[in-house]
Amino acid sequence: MSRDTLNVIKTRRVIRNMTDQPLEQEKLEKILESARWAPVGGNQRIHRFVAVQDPTLLRLLRMVSPGMFQKPQAIILICIDWDAVESENFSEIEKTPYIDVGSQMQTMMLAAHALGVGSGPVTSFSREAVRVILNIPVNLEPYLMVTLGYAAPTKQLPMQASVRGKKKKVTWQSLTDWERYKS
Amino acid sequence: MAEKMMLTEDQAIELFTFLVVSARTQLDDPHHYASMRLLTAAEILRDFITGHTSPETQKLLEATVDKSERAQIIMNDTEAFAGALDELCAMVAQFLVERNGLQERVP
Repeated sequence: MSRDTLNVIKTRRVIRNMTDQPLEQEKLEKILESARWAPVGGNQRIHRFVAVQDPTLLRLLRMVSPGMFQKPQAIILICIDWDAVESENFSEIEKTPYIDVGSQMQTMMLAAHALGVGSGPVTSFSREAVRVILNIPVNLEPYLMVTLGYAAPTKQLPMQASVRGKKKKVTWQSLTDWERYKS
Repeated sequence: MAEKMMLTEDQAIELFTFLVVSARTQLDDPHHYASMRLLTAAEILRDFITGHTSPETQKLLEATVDKSERAQIIMNDTEAFAGALDELCAMVAQFLVERNGLQERVP
Protein backbone atom coordinates (compact mmCIF):
# COMPACT_ATOMS: atom_id res chain seq x y z
CA MET A 1 0.00 0.00 0.00
CA SER A 2 1.46 3.33 -0.97
CA ARG A 3 1.85 6.24 1.39
CA ASP A 4 -0.73 8.12 -0.71
CA THR A 5 -3.34 5.45 -0.07
CA LEU A 6 -2.73 5.54 3.67
CA ASN A 7 -2.96 9.31 3.57
CA VAL A 8 -6.34 9.15 1.78
CA ILE A 9 -7.61 6.74 4.46
CA LYS A 10 -6.44 8.94 7.31
CA THR A 11 -7.64 12.28 5.95
CA ARG A 12 -11.13 11.27 4.80
CA ARG A 13 -13.94 12.79 6.86
CA VAL A 14 -17.71 12.52 6.76
CA ILE A 15 -18.79 15.75 5.08
CA ARG A 16 -22.04 17.15 6.47
CA ASN A 17 -21.95 20.56 4.82
CA MET A 18 -21.60 20.68 1.03
CA THR A 19 -21.45 23.55 -1.47
CA ASP A 20 -23.70 24.05 -4.50
CA GLN A 21 -20.80 23.21 -6.87
CA PRO A 22 -21.99 20.53 -9.29
CA LEU A 23 -20.28 17.16 -9.24
CA GLU A 24 -18.65 16.25 -12.53
CA GLN A 25 -20.16 13.23 -14.31
CA GLU A 26 -16.68 11.76 -14.83
CA LYS A 27 -15.96 11.81 -11.10
CA LEU A 28 -19.32 10.26 -10.26
CA GLU A 29 -18.63 7.45 -12.71
CA LYS A 30 -15.15 6.87 -11.26
CA ILE A 31 -16.68 6.61 -7.77
CA LEU A 32 -19.23 4.09 -9.07
CA GLU A 33 -16.45 2.15 -10.79
CA SER A 34 -14.52 1.94 -7.51
CA ALA A 35 -17.44 0.06 -5.93
CA ARG A 36 -17.10 -2.59 -8.61
CA TRP A 37 -13.65 -3.33 -7.10
CA ALA A 38 -14.85 -3.46 -3.49
CA PRO A 39 -14.34 -6.80 -1.72
CA VAL A 40 -17.64 -8.68 -1.49
CA GLY A 41 -18.55 -12.10 -0.12
CA GLY A 42 -17.84 -14.92 -2.58
CA ASN A 43 -17.25 -12.26 -5.26
CA GLN A 44 -21.02 -12.44 -5.82
CA ARG A 45 -22.85 -9.35 -7.05
CA ILE A 46 -25.94 -9.14 -4.88
CA HIS A 47 -26.24 -5.36 -4.75
CA ARG A 48 -27.47 -2.64 -7.06
CA PHE A 49 -26.36 0.98 -7.05
CA VAL A 50 -28.84 3.72 -7.92
CA ALA A 51 -27.10 6.97 -8.89
CA VAL A 52 -29.20 10.12 -8.49
CA GLN A 53 -28.33 13.59 -9.81
CA ASP A 54 -31.73 15.04 -10.73
CA PRO A 55 -32.27 18.09 -8.46
CA THR A 56 -35.94 17.30 -7.80
CA LEU A 57 -35.17 13.70 -6.85
CA LEU A 58 -32.30 14.85 -4.63
CA ARG A 59 -34.62 17.29 -2.85
CA LEU A 60 -37.28 14.63 -2.30
CA LEU A 61 -34.74 12.07 -1.05
CA ARG A 62 -33.43 14.64 1.40
CA MET A 63 -36.97 15.32 2.64
CA VAL A 64 -37.46 11.65 3.56
CA SER A 65 -34.00 11.26 5.10
CA PRO A 66 -33.83 12.74 8.59
CA GLY A 67 -30.20 11.65 8.88
CA MET A 68 -29.12 13.68 5.84
CA PHE A 69 -27.62 16.97 7.01
CA GLN A 70 -25.91 17.51 3.67
CA LYS A 71 -27.38 19.06 0.54
CA PRO A 72 -25.57 16.70 -1.86
CA GLN A 73 -25.05 17.12 -5.60
CA ALA A 74 -25.39 13.37 -6.10
CA ILE A 75 -26.47 10.33 -4.12
CA ILE A 76 -25.52 6.71 -4.67
CA LEU A 77 -28.08 4.43 -3.08
CA ILE A 78 -26.81 0.94 -2.25
CA CYS A 79 -29.60 -1.64 -2.47
CA ILE A 80 -29.53 -5.31 -1.51
CA ASP A 81 -30.95 -7.44 -4.31
CA TRP A 82 -32.76 -10.20 -2.41
CA ASP A 83 -33.50 -12.14 -5.61
CA ALA A 84 -29.75 -12.30 -6.24
CA VAL A 85 -29.10 -13.26 -2.62
CA GLU A 86 -31.53 -16.15 -3.01
CA SER A 87 -30.12 -17.28 -6.34
CA GLU A 88 -26.59 -17.30 -4.92
CA ASN A 89 -27.81 -19.63 -2.16
CA PHE A 90 -26.82 -17.49 0.77
CA SER A 91 -28.47 -18.76 3.94
CA GLU A 92 -31.15 -16.70 5.68
CA ILE A 93 -28.88 -15.85 8.57
CA GLU A 94 -26.01 -14.86 6.31
CA LYS A 95 -24.63 -11.41 7.17
CA THR A 96 -22.75 -11.03 3.87
CA PRO A 97 -25.32 -8.73 2.20
CA TYR A 98 -24.98 -6.23 5.03
CA ILE A 99 -21.20 -6.50 5.41
CA ASP A 100 -20.80 -5.93 1.67
CA VAL A 101 -22.81 -2.71 1.89
CA GLY A 102 -20.17 -1.41 4.31
CA SER A 103 -17.21 -2.37 2.17
CA GLN A 104 -18.78 -0.84 -0.94
CA MET A 105 -19.65 2.32 0.96
CA GLN A 106 -16.12 2.71 2.28
CA THR A 107 -14.55 2.02 -1.10
CA MET A 108 -16.71 4.71 -2.70
CA MET A 109 -15.99 7.21 0.08
CA LEU A 110 -12.24 6.69 -0.24
CA ALA A 111 -12.43 6.99 -4.03
CA ALA A 112 -14.44 10.21 -3.63
CA HIS A 113 -11.88 11.64 -1.23
CA ALA A 114 -9.02 10.70 -3.58
CA LEU A 115 -10.83 12.68 -6.30
CA GLY A 116 -11.30 15.69 -4.00
CA VAL A 117 -15.01 15.00 -3.52
CA GLY A 118 -16.69 15.03 -0.11
CA SER A 119 -18.97 12.21 0.96
CA GLY A 120 -21.12 11.06 3.82
CA PRO A 121 -23.16 7.93 4.51
CA VAL A 122 -26.83 8.09 5.49
CA THR A 123 -28.87 5.20 6.86
CA SER A 124 -31.61 7.14 8.63
CA PHE A 125 -34.22 7.37 5.89
CA SER A 126 -37.61 5.87 5.17
CA ARG A 127 -36.96 2.83 2.98
CA GLU A 128 -40.55 2.76 1.78
CA ALA A 129 -40.57 6.46 0.92
CA VAL A 130 -37.30 6.07 -1.02
CA ARG A 131 -38.77 3.05 -2.80
CA VAL A 132 -41.73 5.14 -3.98
CA ILE A 133 -39.66 8.18 -4.99
CA LEU A 134 -37.20 6.12 -7.08
CA ASN A 135 -39.73 3.48 -8.18
CA ILE A 136 -37.50 0.72 -6.80
CA PRO A 137 -38.72 -2.85 -7.48
CA VAL A 138 -39.71 -5.05 -4.55
CA ASN A 139 -36.67 -7.34 -4.74
CA LEU A 140 -34.35 -4.44 -4.00
CA GLU A 141 -34.00 -3.16 -0.44
CA PRO A 142 -32.69 0.41 -0.21
CA TYR A 143 -30.06 0.14 2.50
CA LEU A 144 -27.55 2.99 2.55
CA MET A 145 -27.01 6.28 0.74
CA VAL A 146 -23.59 7.71 -0.06
CA THR A 147 -24.05 11.47 -0.40
CA LEU A 148 -21.57 13.28 -2.65
CA GLY A 149 -20.57 16.91 -3.16
CA TYR A 150 -17.81 19.39 -2.48
CA ALA A 151 -17.09 20.19 1.15
CA ALA A 152 -18.03 23.68 2.31
CA PRO A 153 -14.94 25.44 3.69
CA THR A 154 -16.54 26.04 7.08
CA LYS A 155 -19.35 24.84 9.31
CA GLN A 156 -18.64 21.12 9.18
CA LEU A 157 -20.17 19.28 12.12
CA PRO A 158 -17.41 17.14 13.60
CA MET A 159 -18.69 14.22 15.63
CA GLN A 160 -16.83 13.48 18.84
CA ALA A 161 -15.59 9.92 18.99
CA SER A 162 -17.31 8.06 21.77
CA VAL A 163 -16.90 4.66 23.34
CA ARG A 164 -19.98 3.24 25.04
CA GLY A 165 -21.54 6.69 25.24
CA LYS A 166 -18.47 8.39 26.75
CA LYS A 167 -16.48 10.99 24.86
CA LYS A 168 -13.03 9.53 24.41
CA LYS A 169 -9.86 9.96 22.40
CA VAL A 170 -9.66 6.97 20.11
CA THR A 171 -6.39 5.45 18.91
CA TRP A 172 -5.76 2.21 17.11
CA GLN A 173 -4.22 0.91 20.33
CA SER A 174 -7.38 1.71 22.31
CA LEU A 175 -9.41 -0.30 19.78
CA THR A 176 -7.10 -3.31 19.70
CA ASP A 177 -6.50 -6.31 21.93
CA TRP A 178 -3.69 -8.75 21.20
CA GLU A 179 -3.82 -12.50 21.01
CA ARG A 180 -5.95 -14.29 23.67
CA TYR A 181 -8.06 -12.60 26.33
CA LYS A 182 -7.11 -13.37 29.90
CA SER A 183 -9.42 -15.72 31.78
CA MET B 1 -46.50 40.76 14.88
CA ALA B 2 -46.85 38.79 11.67
CA GLU B 3 -50.48 37.63 11.24
CA LYS B 4 -50.23 35.96 7.84
CA MET B 5 -48.87 32.51 7.12
CA MET B 6 -45.09 32.59 7.00
CA LEU B 7 -44.52 29.22 5.31
CA THR B 8 -45.10 28.52 1.65
CA GLU B 9 -47.03 25.36 0.87
CA ASP B 10 -43.80 23.63 -0.26
CA GLN B 11 -42.04 24.58 2.96
CA ALA B 12 -44.93 23.31 5.06
CA ILE B 13 -44.90 20.03 3.11
CA GLU B 14 -41.14 19.69 3.66
CA LEU B 15 -41.47 20.14 7.42
CA PHE B 16 -44.52 17.84 7.57
CA THR B 17 -42.61 15.16 5.63
CA PHE B 18 -39.56 15.45 7.88
CA LEU B 19 -41.70 14.95 10.98
CA VAL B 20 -43.65 11.99 9.58
CA VAL B 21 -40.55 10.23 8.26
CA SER B 22 -38.67 10.88 11.50
CA ALA B 23 -41.48 9.18 13.41
CA ARG B 24 -40.69 6.03 11.41
CA THR B 25 -36.90 6.19 11.27
CA GLN B 26 -36.74 6.86 14.99
CA LEU B 27 -38.03 3.34 15.62
CA ASP B 28 -34.72 2.06 14.19
CA ASP B 29 -32.35 4.86 15.23
CA PRO B 30 -30.69 5.22 18.66
CA HIS B 31 -33.25 6.67 21.08
CA HIS B 32 -31.23 9.82 21.76
CA TYR B 33 -31.44 10.72 18.07
CA ALA B 34 -35.07 11.69 18.71
CA SER B 35 -33.96 14.83 20.49
CA MET B 36 -31.64 15.72 17.61
CA ARG B 37 -34.41 15.17 15.06
CA LEU B 38 -36.71 17.57 16.90
CA LEU B 39 -33.92 20.13 17.01
CA THR B 40 -33.36 19.66 13.27
CA ALA B 41 -37.10 20.19 12.68
CA ALA B 42 -36.92 23.40 14.74
CA GLU B 43 -33.96 24.53 12.62
CA ILE B 44 -35.85 23.79 9.40
CA LEU B 45 -38.76 25.90 10.68
CA ARG B 46 -36.39 28.65 11.82
CA ASP B 47 -34.70 28.77 8.40
CA PHE B 48 -38.08 28.96 6.64
CA ILE B 49 -39.49 31.82 8.72
CA THR B 50 -36.30 33.87 9.09
CA GLY B 51 -36.90 37.22 7.44
CA HIS B 52 -40.69 36.94 7.65
CA THR B 53 -41.24 37.70 11.34
CA SER B 54 -41.36 40.70 13.64
CA PRO B 55 -37.95 42.23 14.49
CA GLU B 56 -38.20 40.76 18.01
CA THR B 57 -38.77 37.21 16.78
CA GLN B 58 -36.07 37.73 14.16
CA LYS B 59 -33.61 38.51 16.97
CA LEU B 60 -34.58 35.29 18.73
CA LEU B 61 -34.13 33.23 15.56
CA GLU B 62 -30.72 34.74 14.89
CA ALA B 63 -29.64 34.30 18.51
CA THR B 64 -30.48 30.60 18.51
CA VAL B 65 -28.37 29.71 15.44
CA ASP B 66 -25.07 29.21 17.25
CA LYS B 67 -26.62 27.41 20.19
CA SER B 68 -28.60 24.92 18.12
CA GLU B 69 -25.61 24.21 15.87
CA ARG B 70 -23.43 23.64 18.93
CA ALA B 71 -26.04 21.27 20.36
CA GLN B 72 -26.03 19.24 17.13
CA ILE B 73 -22.23 19.06 17.20
CA ILE B 74 -22.05 17.76 20.76
CA MET B 75 -24.92 15.32 20.42
CA ASN B 76 -22.65 12.42 21.38
CA ASP B 77 -21.82 14.05 24.71
CA THR B 78 -25.08 13.68 26.61
CA GLU B 79 -24.31 16.12 29.41
CA ALA B 80 -23.05 18.85 27.10
CA PHE B 81 -25.97 18.24 24.74
CA ALA B 82 -28.45 18.64 27.61
CA GLY B 83 -26.64 21.79 28.73
CA ALA B 84 -26.76 23.34 25.26
CA LEU B 85 -30.47 22.52 24.97
CA ASP B 86 -31.07 24.02 28.44
CA GLU B 87 -29.48 27.26 27.25
CA LEU B 88 -31.63 27.19 24.13
CA CYS B 89 -34.80 26.57 26.18
CA ALA B 90 -33.91 29.43 28.55
CA MET B 91 -33.40 31.74 25.60
CA VAL B 92 -36.81 30.83 24.14
CA ALA B 93 -38.47 31.18 27.57
CA GLN B 94 -36.94 34.64 28.06
CA PHE B 95 -38.32 35.61 24.67
CA LEU B 96 -41.80 34.40 25.73
CA VAL B 97 -41.59 36.34 29.00
CA GLU B 98 -40.79 39.54 27.15
CA ARG B 99 -43.29 38.90 24.37
CA ASN B 100 -46.06 38.53 26.95
CA GLY B 101 -44.97 41.51 29.04
CA LEU B 102 -44.25 39.37 32.11
CA GLN B 103 -40.89 40.90 32.94
CA GLU B 104 -42.62 43.96 34.37
CA ARG B 105 -45.03 41.95 36.51
CA VAL B 106 -44.14 41.53 40.16
CA PRO B 107 -46.00 39.35 42.67
